[in-house]
Amino acid sequence: MILLFAIASGVLFATGIYMLLRRSLVKILIGLLLLSYAVNLLLFSSANLIPAKPPIIPPSENTPPPGFADPVPQALILTAIVISFGTIAFAMVLIRQSHIVSGTDDMNKMRCSDLPCETDEVVDKHSIEVDKKGDIPA
Amino acid sequence: MIALAIIAPLSFAILMLILSNRPSMQRWAALPASLATFVITIFIFYFSLTSDIQTVQAGNWQAPFGITLVVDTFSAMMLVISGVLAVLLSAYSIGQIDPQRIKAGFYPLFFFLITGVNGAFCAGDLFNLYVWFEVMLMASFVLVALGGERIQIEGAVKYLIPNLLASTLLLCAIGLLYNLVGTLNMADMAIRLKNVQPYGQVTVVAVLLLIAFGIKSAVFPLFFWLPASYHTPPVTITALFSGLLTKVGVYALYRVFTLLFTQDVVYTHTLILLLAGFTMLSGVFGATAQTDMRRLLSFHIISQIGYLLLGLGLFNQEALAAGIYFMVHIILAKTALFMISGIVFELKGSYNLKQLGGLYATKPYLSLMFLLPALSLAGLPPLSGFFAKLALIVAGFALQQYPIVAVGLFVSFFTLYSMTKVWNEAFWKNDIESVHVHQGRVSIWLWAPTLGLVALSTAAGILVAPLYTICQIAAAQLSDPSIYITATLGSIP
Amino acid sequence: MVLPVIVSFYITLAVLSPWLYRLFKERTGTVLGLLILLSAAALWGWLLPLNIQHQTLHMMLDWAPQLGIALSFQLDGLSYLMGLLITGIGGLIVIYGSVYLANHPAIPRFLSIVLLFMSAMLGLVLSGNALLLFMFWELTSITSFLLIGFDHDRPNARVAAWQALLVTGSGGLAMLAGFSLLFMISGTFEIQAWIHQAQQIKQHALAPAAFILILLGAMTKSAQFPFHFWLPNAMEAPTPVSAYLHSATMVKAGVYLLARLFPLFGDMPIWGSTVPLIGIVTLTGGALLALGQTDLKRILAYTTVGALGGLVFLLGLGTPVAIKTVPVFLLAHALYKGSLFLVAGGIDHAVHNRNITELGRLSKAMPYTALAAMFSALAMVGFPPSLGFIAKELAYESILKTGSSLWTILAVAGFSAMAGVALWLGFVPFWAKPARELHPHGETPALYIPPLILALLGFVTGIVPQATANILVKPAAMAVLPQVSTVKLTLWHGITPYLLLSTLTVLLAGIMYPLRHRFIELAARLWNKVHLIGPANLYNKTLEAILAFAAWQTRLLQSGYLRVYVLFIVLTTIALTVYTAWTRLAGSFPLPDWTAPRFYDYMLTVIIIVAAIAVTRTTSRLATIALLGSIGYSIAILFMLYSAPDLSMVQFAIETLTVILFVLVIYRLPKFIQRTTRIPHVFDLMVSLASGGLMTLLMLLVSSHPGESSISDFYTRNSLSKAYGRNIVNVILVDFRGLDTMGEITVLTLAAIGVLALIQLTLSDKNISSMPQRKIQKSVLLESSALYMMPLLLIFSIFLLLRGHNKIGGGFVGGLVAASALMLYAIAISPEALRRLISIKPRLLVAGGLMIAMFSGLVGMTLEKPFMTGLWLPQTLPVIDKAGTPILFDAGVYFVVIGVVLWILLTFATE
Repeated sequence: MILLFAIASGVLFATGIYMLLRRSLVKILIGLLLLSYAVNLLLFSSANLIPAKPPIIPPSENTPPPGFADPVPQALILTAIVISFGTIAFAMVLIRQSHIVSGTDDMNKMRCSDLPCETDEVVDKHSIEVDKKGDIPA
Repeated sequence: MIALAIIAPLSFAILMLILSNRPSMQRWAALPASLATFVITIFIFYFSLTSDIQTVQAGNWQAPFGITLVVDTFSAMMLVISGVLAVLLSAYSIGQIDPQRIKAGFYPLFFFLITGVNGAFCAGDLFNLYVWFEVMLMASFVLVALGGERIQIEGAVKYLIPNLLASTLLLCAIGLLYNLVGTLNMADMAIRLKNVQPYGQVTVVAVLLLIAFGIKSAVFPLFFWLPASYHTPPVTITALFSGLLTKVGVYALYRVFTLLFTQDVVYTHTLILLLAGFTMLSGVFGATAQTDMRRLLSFHIISQIGYLLLGLGLFNQEALAAGIYFMVHIILAKTALFMISGIVFELKGSYNLKQLGGLYATKPYLSLMFLLPALSLAGLPPLSGFFAKLALIVAGFALQQYPIVAVGLFVSFFTLYSMTKVWNEAFWKNDIESVHVHQGRVSIWLWAPTLGLVALSTAAGILVAPLYTICQIAAAQLSDPSIYITATLGSIP
Repeated sequence: MVLPVIVSFYITLAVLSPWLYRLFKERTGTVLGLLILLSAAALWGWLLPLNIQHQTLHMMLDWAPQLGIALSFQLDGLSYLMGLLITGIGGLIVIYGSVYLANHPAIPRFLSIVLLFMSAMLGLVLSGNALLLFMFWELTSITSFLLIGFDHDRPNARVAAWQALLVTGSGGLAMLAGFSLLFMISGTFEIQAWIHQAQQIKQHALAPAAFILILLGAMTKSAQFPFHFWLPNAMEAPTPVSAYLHSATMVKAGVYLLARLFPLFGDMPIWGSTVPLIGIVTLTGGALLALGQTDLKRILAYTTVGALGGLVFLLGLGTPVAIKTVPVFLLAHALYKGSLFLVAGGIDHAVHNRNITELGRLSKAMPYTALAAMFSALAMVGFPPSLGFIAKELAYESILKTGSSLWTILAVAGFSAMAGVALWLGFVPFWAKPARELHPHGETPALYIPPLILALLGFVTGIVPQATANILVKPAAMAVLPQVSTVKLTLWHGITPYLLLSTLTVLLAGIMYPLRHRFIELAARLWNKVHLIGPANLYNKTLEAILAFAAWQTRLLQSGYLRVYVLFIVLTTIALTVYTAWTRLAGSFPLPDWTAPRFYDYMLTVIIIVAAIAVTRTTSRLATIALLGSIGYSIAILFMLYSAPDLSMVQFAIETLTVILFVLVIYRLPKFIQRTTRIPHVFDLMVSLASGGLMTLLMLLVSSHPGESSISDFYTRNSLSKAYGRNIVNVILVDFRGLDTMGEITVLTLAAIGVLALIQLTLSDKNISSMPQRKIQKSVLLESSALYMMPLLLIFSIFLLLRGHNKIGGGFVGGLVAASALMLYAIAISPEALRRLISIKPRLLVAGGLMIAMFSGLVGMTLEKPFMTGLWLPQTLPVIDKAGTPILFDAGVYFVVIGVVLWILLTFATE
């Protein structure tokens, strides 16, 4: 079974990365969603996969039935799911804003924060011009 | 005690959240609040010097089953620094952050960020570390975008995506580690990882973790998000980021690569050395090409991250001590420089070296305030940068790592170059017609904290002896994991 | 103790000088100068007896023992000589400079920087610790930088200052590396300690490397070929600065360092093969370059280069007589060259012209300056009875003793050229016929007394040679080479070959005088050709090349394309991970034991895979939403199947929320368009497939382990007994690992703040009032059903919250249910109605929730228990059989979730 999980998670990763590499912001957003699915699957399979033995102690017992599933990854995933929901919710709004303020959803049209949009440079001089007679122009 | 380092800023954040509609009240509450946080960190630091490693078993569940907060000397130092920056920058923010941003929630975010940072410094549990990282990142995402100018939003997107990718990788690494050893407490993990067979699996995961933290701490070739975003928000925020965020990433690298992955050092730490070299070079090259003061400083952050990795990659007690001292040095000096760039902007209305000028003639004291941290960054004695580099050079020679030391010296030359370039353009050159020239005097809320930080960073150089002793204590703890492990688990099983 | 005191005394003066200026106005310089001269006289006078008896002072204070740096000072003959020059000339310069720069606005700044330099230079020659020396060394570089660029509004001044700093700075770095190597070898930075264990150090394989690195430092500082070019450019500095830093003192630091380390390196073969060569090349080269110049200061600068070369050459020879010569030459040069610079400054001040081909006939207007010029020029030529004469005699003696005719010829050429130039400098401006009429205004005492003093000293020391020898020369020489037992300086010791050479030199100089115009033109033309391949050009080209490369790599890497950044990250991850796995695992790839999948597994995984692939291809928004949903829900079902009921509930809820948000966002964004062209498509495809495959393999790799958790059984054992909960996952969330949940709800809060902040700010851009209020079509059925549904749902949510500790449920799911109930109400009636209904703002709801959670954690601390310790009521209650702080914590989560969801969705709704 782990094989299926691994493959599914792998496919989700591949598609997620693929979408992250698009230029359209919406697709990038979808990529993030796919990645979070992939991670949840990965975390879930980080303990043995046990069908139908939830880590819940039946009313009469003091411990769950033997061979129950490891609760720890479940707790971790719960936290992870919620956190990634928060980040993705923000990402959605951010991407929406960037479309509003920049009027495009094409990442390639958004380069101002890297390249100085005004492309003038400080002229770095390293040599002193000394005229033919060797005097320094005052 | 150490739980307070998280509780205090968190409760202040909640307080600020409640006060959201009262900008002025938040403004004035921020300073005492951060002062309180600072005092707490001071206490923690004091205890870390007097007693040995402090731990809290949150929920009173003994390790490794509960979540353990562990503060050794290294963590304590980082906590104090975050306390200092919190105080100075909340003072600085009074003079700089506009009411609109405050309404939008600057101060809650500020304290949530501190919470996340402190949490990361205290975390003794890998998944808990991830959680605090997320708190910190989420706060920083919002802070970058806060204000909503086009360039900010753009920067925010470029900041968000790579960092979310990093979080994904981090989570994967944690999952894989849990699969290998079935525990999350780092001390427990350190023990169990030793007998994983074949050990290669651990190394693979270690590399994954190296990349995840590497993205967060802006290591070559994963750093491109940093110069794309750091210069877009107001200087207060940039200064906060440059002081703390990437350093938390480096802190995490120091932690895991001294505690967890110490079996295949020849491979992992050589890899780190390699990355260190490229990071130093690429960063400083980027800096020389800049004409915008804040972009230039942002690229310098990267090259100095390289120096920090150098300390880790050399990986003996002296090198680690040097790295830790370097960390203190750049946090102080670099943050001071960003704050000064903010003052320059107040005066000249520009960060662009071409539009700046004439500051040396008109503002001699500001010039001095710039010169001290700038030369410190360039590594001139008796400033902290000199001792930091010296310690790294000596450590590198002692380990016969001559090439990387040569790279370090080469980079240090170009740091001098670009710092003096800023001096020539912004301070010496005659005043060129600027966008607008702010005639009045600079608000005390801007220069007083800046002056304080400059004084601190200078003191860090003059008073190198006591400070370096503390760094050596911290390094001694790092280079002997058993101390950490026994402190956390009570005893080595 | 006196040594650090005197240094710090001058530093204090430097710091105070701006305030002193407020007191004494334009007389400040004179006051300070006299103060310096008096203190110096007192100091050196007091130390004189020690010096004559060749005693050395030591004192050491700890600074940073871990790094081997100590405040260790030492005074021996060499330091004494240097210190005397530094303070003596320094005092004169301060007086001269304050008048020279009178009514310059920045004169207080000038004074304090000069004083700072003086203190640094003094510290340099008094340091006994290499790092302390390095500190002062760099400080002199910085002060020199600030002084060369003193007129910083002139680009040339800025560039010259920058060049000087960078050249000497790079040398400094090399020197630091050299010192560190010596530290690695010897374990100390104390210079005396090095000298004591010189033998062991020289055994070490890296000793030559250390020497070369230190030599580089000395060469850059003392303007040795090929690093000489910064010195002539440094003439941008005000003339007093050039006189003081760039001829008398700072540029001698390199020579001083070599002399200081002579006992350590002096008898290494590499010393003998490098140092004299560098010296002689610089000597002759500098002297000949001087011929091509017309600017007084540049001429002086090149002759200074030559003289420095001579000093290095003599040190290189290292024979007793050569070592004896060094102090004599150094002293003589400092006196006459300093004086000549000050003369040049006086001329410039008088006629604002420094071009030697235009000057002339100034003797009437400025007789005393003329006198000073004449004396110092004669000293430079080597005319008896000046000290310069004796120095030249000794120099020729040491050269002839080597028996190398080549070196002799070169030296004679160099010295003759300098002598010739000296005559031009000393006489042309005052006696020759000027090219055009000059109108000099008279001379001021402050501008001719200092040069006159220096010039006359050049002769006084020569007239009483033996006194000079005993007081200054011998102690200095012995400090370098203890074997130098006797130093006899005389003006006349019969007809010797040296005397003949000196005479020859003078004669050549005499011949050159009338032919000067031809010489200058010829040399200038020649040097302008050579300049193109000269080291100065080389330096500029290299620097520019590196900067060009830097700019190129930055444009390449920091391209601004997000996809490139992501690509870099992904490729790095793949490359490093694969390489590591390949090398570290070395083929051994443990595989997990398979458990046969069941039908559902196949079905769900296939759904997930197909949907995931389809999502990347579709261009319809509806399809995208549907596909994403199907993936999410299938995962939820998988969780259900594999015994994670809570997980699957949360997954369902979150999935629904995400889809709602996605709908709200995506319909405001443009339709998908195919942007990237085919080639990048294929490439991306390969990259992403590789990364996916990598993850699959990693999962399989680690799953080979039994996956037995070492901690989970603890939870099962204590979940009920100690934490009073039957639903272990929930217990972990609210109790065992409550801190994670704390952070988790914080992140949620932050997300809500972020959403609000972003949307608010754009709202404030286009003010809300102008926004069209859109009418919502209300359906009566929905409305009424909502009215009844909502309370039920709310109650159910609370029920979920309370039972969560024992059965499926919990604060998070409960919160979501409650939120959806309220949202239903909002949609059915209107957001405003909802606002009215819950009078409390979502923001405060969140804050309240956080506070509850925090409080539940703090309760324990009041009982000296750690943060988040669970406390329980003894008696049992209905629904939740035990009540305790973890339940309270869960309630906090509940409220935060409600608040956040309402907050986000209402923010959207208002828009």
